[in-house]
Amino acid sequence: MTQPLASVSAAADYYRAEFAALDASFLRNGDGAACLRRRSSLVDTLVTGLWSLLGGADRPIALVATGGYGRRELFPYSDIDLMFLCPDARVESLARDLIRTMSQSLWDSGLRASTLTRTVRECDRFSVENFEFTLSLLDRRLIGGDPAPYGLLKEKVLPALMAREADAIRRLLQKSLHDRYARFGGTIFHLEPNVKEAPGGLRDHHAAQWWTALMRIRDTKEWPVPPDLAPDPEVQAAVEFMTATRCFLHLRAHRDENILSWHAQDEAGAKSIGLETGGTADPAYWMRTYYRHARTFSRSVAPLLEQQPPARPFFARRRRKLTIEGTPFVVADGRIDLEDQETNIDPESMLRVFAEIAEQGSRPTVRAESAISDALPMLNLHLPEGPFLRAGLQRILLGRHAAQALRTMHTLGVLEMLVPEFHGIDALVIRDSYHRYTVDEHTFLTIENVHALRDTAQDWERRFAGLLDEIDRLELLLLALLLHDTGKASRSGDHTMQSAELAEAVLDRLEFESEEREIVLALVRDHLAMSAALRRDIFDPETLRALAEKVATPMRLRMLCLMTYADVRAVNPEALTPWKAENLWQLFIATSNWMDRNVDEERYHASVDPAVLRRITALVPDRKEELQRFLEGLPQRYVQTCLPEQIRAHLEMSSRLDQHPAQLSLRKTRHLFELALIAKDRPMLFADIAGTLSALGMNIVKAEAFANDAGVVVDSFLFADSFGTLELNPSEFGRFTQKVMDAVTKRTSVDGLMRARRHLHMAPIKMRVETRISFDDTASSASTVMQVVAQDGPGLLRTIASVIATLGCDVRVALIDTEGELAVDVFYLTESNRPLEDSLKARLAEELALSIQTLRPAAALAR
Amino acid sequence: MQKIEAIIQPSRLDAVKEALIEIGVDGMTILEARGHGRQKGHTEFYRGREYTVDLLPKVKIELVVHDEAAEKVINAIVTTARTGHIGDGKIFVSRIDEAIRIRNDERGETAL
Repeated sequence: MTQPLASVSAAADYYRAEFAALDASFLRNGDGAACLRRRSSLVDTLVTGLWSLLGGADRPIALVATGGYGRRELFPYSDIDLMFLCPDARVESLARDLIRTMSQSLWDSGLRASTLTRTVRECDRFSVENFEFTLSLLDRRLIGGDPAPYGLLKEKVLPALMAREADAIRRLLQKSLHDRYARFGGTIFHLEPNVKEAPGGLRDHHAAQWWTALMRIRDTKEWPVPPDLAPDPEVQAAVEFMTATRCFLHLRAHRDENILSWHAQDEAGAKSIGLETGGTADPAYWMRTYYRHARTFSRSVAPLLEQQPPARPFFARRRRKLTIEGTPFVVADGRIDLEDQETNIDPESMLRVFAEIAEQGSRPTVRAESAISDALPMLNLHLPEGPFLRAGLQRILLGRHAAQALRTMHTLGVLEMLVPEFHGIDALVIRDSYHRYTVDEHTFLTIENVHALRDTAQDWERRFAGLLDEIDRLELLLLALLLHDTGKASRSGDHTMQSAELAEAVLDRLEFESEEREIVLALVRDHLAMSAALRRDIFDPETLRALAEKVATPMRLRMLCLMTYADVRAVNPEALTPWKAENLWQLFIATSNWMDRNVDEERYHASVDPAVLRRITALVPDRKEELQRFLEGLPQRYVQTCLPEQIRAHLEMSSRLDQHPAQLSLRKTRHLFELALIAKDRPMLFADIAGTLSALGMNIVKAEAFANDAGVVVDSFLFADSFGTLELNPSEFGRFTQKVMDAVTKRTSVDGLMRARRHLHMAPIKMRVETRISFDDTASSASTVMQVVAQDGPGLLRTIASVIATLGCDVRVALIDTEGELAVDVFYLTESNRPLEDSLKARLAEELALSIQTLRPAAALAR
Repeated sequence: MQKIEAIIQPSRLDAVKEALIEIGVDGMTILEARGHGRQKGHTEFYRGREYTVDLLPKVKIELVVHDEAAEKVINAIVTTARTGHIGDGKIFVSRIDEAIRIRNDERGETAL
């Protein structure tokens, strides 16, 4: 504009015309930054023109833009923050009418002006109530009028004020950030986010800029210059995207609109708003880009969101630093930093740092994060793999703050470097009103939900917390959660199968053993099985049968239950209602009980399961018939829970029964020992093994006893070496197995061995368990199912098995389980190959109760 | 206007919703519920602890319709919710005196 404004109405016309051109320009090129600069210049022209028109040019008053206007970031329908800066109160008083007329003229011109009048002296006052005004002065800019009061403000008043009050302003800035985050649930993930105020919005960027400016003033006592505040390329890209998005929202709604509604997302995608590529974009892809940039903004204010440590007395001010062993990193006050700036980071150091975050919840400083990011290209050349990476990941996953560590790894690019399969779900949006989070954030939340169970106060969640203690390989469940939705990257087809394929590649690289690999793959593949079952009648035996068949083992059922709990809870904050959680729990216990009660019913038969036979026959191709005979009549559970290699080993053992009536094998698992017995069945066999193990100081944790149609028993005992006999003395393996063999072949009296350990019966117990014995005649057509719940202790299993044998009952299947001091033992019993008569059941219950009571006299109960 | 409250098995919800949409029902409210009639529930044991399932999971559907549509709605629900087993649920019908659309204060049957 070359001519001064002739009138207010001319100003209004001018503004309208220029604004229309601005609108059309944005529509053409989508350049948000240019739109802001253009409107800022337009408003500058209008303000100075009107001020001149009204005779303000002669007054000693400065026109100062503040806030967004001061930054030259005027969005199309944002208010104008304008300050009339007077040298003193007398000038202010004399200009009152003029300023009022000016404000009115701005409104009449079509501008929403938020004006205020201050003297230079008033700008020097700071209070909590005017904190935001003081903050807005960080972005002040002279646009017209008398430069003298502005010069005083800029050169003298503001530097002194900021230097004096920088700490107070920073604390208030932090508080306002905390409050804003709390208002929006502390998350960037909203289905219809507010691009200005929500976490990850433009306000975060402003807060980061103010923080940087205040820190610079505090540290250097100098006002920051633009290069000091220049954002890094990642932040700059986020600024450009968010700016374009907010301009789009304003111009679309013709008002100061900042909510990215569902329809707005569709349109933004169609117009590729903020994207470097032209054409149209899928709304889900567009929102993915939004969340990536929101994450960048949110990360930039992460240091502000951390609680400041409480002020320490002077003598304690020296911070205690702890080195993270084997790394160049130190931890002080919960922050991880580099001891020495010039240092090389190796893969082991990197994994240890993230383990520290996972285990302690420590946060890396910006410097530490930058060092890790800078080291990535070199780390990529020496990528950790195999057991080393597996151990590192395991330690991270098992940490209480695993989700925090994984998020940091993801942000820095480390997670995708170690697990490239994760790349496909980075900021991936599932665009419906049910899925609130992007797929990567959802994944981290599932892991967070599992760990959070340990601290839950809700009754309906505590029962799921109890399952945590029953899972002895929690890292496998957590790994399955990490990989369970990676298949969603393909966007079509069954994501569970695709996730399983991707998981297979990961497990190959980590060199997992076949048993553990199978567990993780099954969890990933079937992670929706319980959710699907919840949509059916959860008390229908057919529903239970189908689910039990799919999960195959009680351990996998527990893992799947927890997985389902964590998965549903991470969809959105309201997804897992107490109602749904209760149904999940009921489905779990009904299926668990169904599995235990139907072990006897579901027997292997080659004619029914040729596929199973083929899988195992592949290992012993020349012994197909022998294998068939061995498997015939064993419970399906045996075939489903044992690996083909284990079944082959058992077949080998059974083939040697002609030479020796009992075959044993002993192996160490991760935390326990496993004894396998293949033998010709005889009375009291199970009781004798149980008694011998107990007499040798072993604590039986689990046991399963099966028999095939040929009368060969396949028993397995999982036990803890209470006294470390085998753990500390590997040479004792041979003696141990010999003693067990002597008991099996009756060369040794088990009762004699037990007497030597009788003193253990008197050890005090911590939790009293009431003995409960129940029978079920409906679970099996061929046998009676008896469940014994009792106080666990040395000799319990032998006692129960002895009573069963003494009363002439045969054990077709035994499922033994313990949790701490609680023993839950399930037996499938027959008498003369038939289910038990009522009279026999009554006698059994009576004698068992008496024998168990005798085993743990009242004197041994803890007070 | 009539209010129809149907308590059904959760496993039948999807089918009932589809059936209602098919006959032109626009709005409904779904509530998670627990209850029992003659289907009393049972007791399960897990790790020695007793869990009594005496209130079974149900879903309640509520909708208000024009008088002439009520019978069609009831038939749709009965047909799709029925399994033939105890526990299928019940439908209750009551009269509604007034309906008001909050957004624009529209009243009466046109507010439905």
